[in-house]
Amino acid sequence: MSTNTALDQLFVKTRAENRAALIAYIPAGFPSQAGCHKVIETLAKAGVDAIEIGYPYSDPVMDGPTIQAAATQALENGTGVTEVFAALKHATDQGVAAVVMTYWNPIEKYGVAKFAQAIADNGGSGVITPDLTIEESDEWRTAVDTSSINPIYVVAPSTKPERLVKVTDQCGGFIYAASLMGVTGTRSGISSGAGELVARLRKVSNKPISVGLGVSNREQAKEVAAFADGVIVGSAFIKAIQDAPDEASGLAAVSHLATELAKGVREAR
Amino acid sequence: MSVLDEIIAGVKEDLAERKIPRSEIEAAAYGAAPVIDCLPIMRAQEMAVIAEVKRSSPSKGVLASIADPAALAEQYQEAGASAISVLTERRRFSGSLADLDAVRKRVTLPILRKDFMVDEYQFFEARAHGADLVLLIVAGLSDSQLHEFAALTNELGMRALVEVHTHQELERALEIKPELVGINSRNLKTLEVDPKAFAELLPELPAELIRVAESGISQRSDVEFAQKYGANAILVGEALVKAGDPNLAMRDLLGQRWAYSMLDSKLVIDGLGHFGPYGGRFVPEALIGALEELEAAHSSALEDPIFQAELAELHRTYSGRPSIITEAKRFAEHAGGARIILKREDLNHTGSHKINNVLGQALLTKRMGKSRIIAETGAGQHGVASATAAALMGLECVVYMGEEDTKRQSLNVARMKLLGAQVVPVTSGSRTLKDAINEAMRDWVTNVENTHYLLGTVAGPHPFPTMVRDFHKIIGEEARAQVIELTGKLPDAVLACVGGGSNAIGIFHDFIKDTDVRLIGLEAGGDGVETGRHAATISGGTRGVLHGTRSYVLQDENGQTIESHSISAGLDYPGVGPEHAYLHDIGRAEYRAITDAQAMAAFALLCKTEGIIPAIETAHALAGALQVGNELGPDATLLINLSGRGDKDVQTAADYFGIPL
Ligand SMILES: Cc1ncc(COP(=O)(O)O)c(C=O)c1O
Repeated sequence: MSTNTALDQLFVKTRAENRAALIAYIPAGFPSQAGCHKVIETLAKAGVDAIEIGYPYSDPVMDGPTIQAAATQALENGTGVTEVFAALKHATDQGVAAVVMTYWNPIEKYGVAKFAQAIADNGGSGVITPDLTIEESDEWRTAVDTSSINPIYVVAPSTKPERLVKVTDQCGGFIYAASLMGVTGTRSGISSGAGELVARLRKVSNKPISVGLGVSNREQAKEVAAFADGVIVGSAFIKAIQDAPDEASGLAAVSHLATELAKGVREAR
Repeated sequence: MSVLDEIIAGVKEDLAERKIPRSEIEAAAYGAAPVIDCLPIMRAQEMAVIAEVKRSSPSKGVLASIADPAALAEQYQEAGASAISVLTERRRFSGSLADLDAVRKRVTLPILRKDFMVDEYQFFEARAHGADLVLLIVAGLSDSQLHEFAALTNELGMRALVEVHTHQELERALEIKPELVGINSRNLKTLEVDPKAFAELLPELPAELIRVAESGISQRSDVEFAQKYGANAILVGEALVKAGDPNLAMRDLLGQRWAYSMLDSKLVIDGLGHFGPYGGRFVPEALIGALEELEAAHSSALEDPIFQAELAELHRTYSGRPSIITEAKRFAEHAGGARIILKREDLNHTGSHKINNVLGQALLTKRMGKSRIIAETGAGQHGVASATAAALMGLECVVYMGEEDTKRQSLNVARMKLLGAQVVPVTSGSRTLKDAINEAMRDWVTNVENTHYLLGTVAGPHPFPTMVRDFHKIIGEEARAQVIELTGKLPDAVLACVGGGSNAIGIFHDFIKDTDVRLIGLEAGGDGVETGRHAATISGGTRGVLHGTRSYVLQDENGQTIESHSISAGLDYPGVGPEHAYLHDIGRAEYRAITDAQAMAAFALLCKTEGIIPAIETAHALAGALQVGNELGPDATLLINLSGRGDKDVQTAADYFGIPL
């Protein structure tokens, strides 16, 4: 199960630099196919370390209204598996580590082994699967091993200690720690559950831990970067694009936010 | 002296000590209960299992203590064994005739007395103790003994399993025209197991024989190997007695870990809620704790007489169970003259079967110490039932309902509000039932601490499909007894409409073991499955994952859920319960699509012929009854689950038939 993906290398580097990595989430096909590619370029230039390409899905039960709306828009733009892999490739072409975040059904529909291999073929480091439980992951495990990519599972504040061991054991690349009990979306403050969960995770695993859900500004990024190896920001970027009057100002807002967040993850320790 | 010779010497010594006069043992043999013939039972199976009660063996020493051999044999019987083998040899196998007696008292399957048969006396003794089969080990017997013992076995009405290890022994065995031949892959001289014996000897056995593979069967691949060379039965001991759960171990060997035990329609599942490839849990990690808590609460409630009594009392005094059956004679004239019997779930409080599940889960909510329930609803029936139970038990209730459906079913929205529930119109996605489920899941992830998600059908992540089924199976249990009482026999077919599948699984479940009874689910065909505008998930969908479970799903090539279409809001769902997917795949149940037009015609017909206004969901089952009745003709009896009444659908029906309101 040992891998050496761009994501694995990233955390070796950021740990050496004694800082957290900044990871941005953007759904493929949002705000349009070309627009998504420009957002990716902007994120990479502004200092984002890794990009998660979201696979827009019709029934996103883990997502709040912001990402739901973006996913709906992306689906209306005709986003399917081809566009997802194209966005992934575009991200890796910018020299950042890139992964796909997707609900399980699109993987199963595409073909489990084939999907893992396509990730590798497009330069991707791994896949975040928010609704794949380890009990259902036998086939996926074989596929990611064969294609040497990182399987990234999400753990939650409610995950019991003995289960944390099992789930983190299966994780590659990093462990995705959901900061709170809830869905994606910006929050006014970082929940205290995030620090507690990371502390519990440190006891059972020395794999990199990235915290997601609710991080939206430099202050929050700094706060999380003090104890996590990676800070994941999604809804805040999407909101910046949704709130902008046109594409150019949307990209400028993304660039500004990414630059701020990149500072945040560097000033924490 | 070989191991076999040593054992036989010991057997003879033991025998000398316990012998009673020949006349007495003969009398006991002829006076014993009649022999149970193993041949038809074994022939009925593609791979029959002779399951062995065995404490130890010369090759492995002690295997298991087996304090209660009869209980073990009973488990074998439940798991689907065709015969039980009981070791009676004392010195090497720690067996006894007392074991045989104990097992005989408790199982109805044929029993093999497994011993080293070297004396005529032993055959009478076997029969006297209730054995139906004996073992003849060719390696330990002369030709004349073989002939003599085979004849004696026959005379006593028993069957002989003739065991061979080599070609030469096989030739000798075939001389006595055996009916069952066992190939023992263990070399009795060295005690080594060599599966080559299966490959070499099984193919030489005449096809009309029962061809038993013995020894060294410890995993599925061993069974497949033996089967490949022609075995149609296996004799297994060690692998079963050493397993924690012999039932599961036997299913594993047969490659039917997921199959139904036909004796009690219980599904053997693996603790993860799988029905074959279907079911399971595909949910955010944040929900795992809540699902485990629910699973534990459900299993403890199943065993808890106080919980069961409380639920039974609610059924009797609140929902109005048992629901009656009604024979629909005038409707039947249009159904090829078949007898049509309606199970009247429409007469339950709140007007449908939904109350069965809701009362059960609301009690569980209290048992888990939670104070708030959330529910999704399409037609509003489940929402109304949930709001009702919440009012009854003092729980806070929030119902998610697609905005589209709140318009289609405004009467039910008002009912929920009257009952004190908050109704949240869902504006995301397609604004129908599936989006209401998404929204309920999001609420649950956020508020799981004090909230129970009261899912309304047999879909969703484990344990919902099994739990909701358990709360609805009372429908079939009542109906089965009622139909037998009315007609003196089982129905030819049981029909129900299928949305998520709860009313259907509820009435099907007690009939699963009755393999002659056809189980027919009627899905919503909308404008016709071929038009793509339908909700017939099994008839027109493909395997996929939706809302936490793997089943059939309406989806496109990217795995995106396709919106379903049906005149019936309660069937308008692009998924279906995993147990139905499995029943479909194993061929135990059939699923057909009924179009809107067919359903509405059946709706009108039941109104006019029987004076019963059914729910439009239910009308799909009635349309199925018209089809199946005409196919089977006047000798057939059909049981239909009348899942709900049509009060809520008056507006839709009036629009459809052009009745001005
Ligand atoms: C009367 C009635 N029958 C059937 C259904 C379909 O659900 P299920 O397939 O779970 O029985 C509904 C759902 O609202 C209903 O109200």
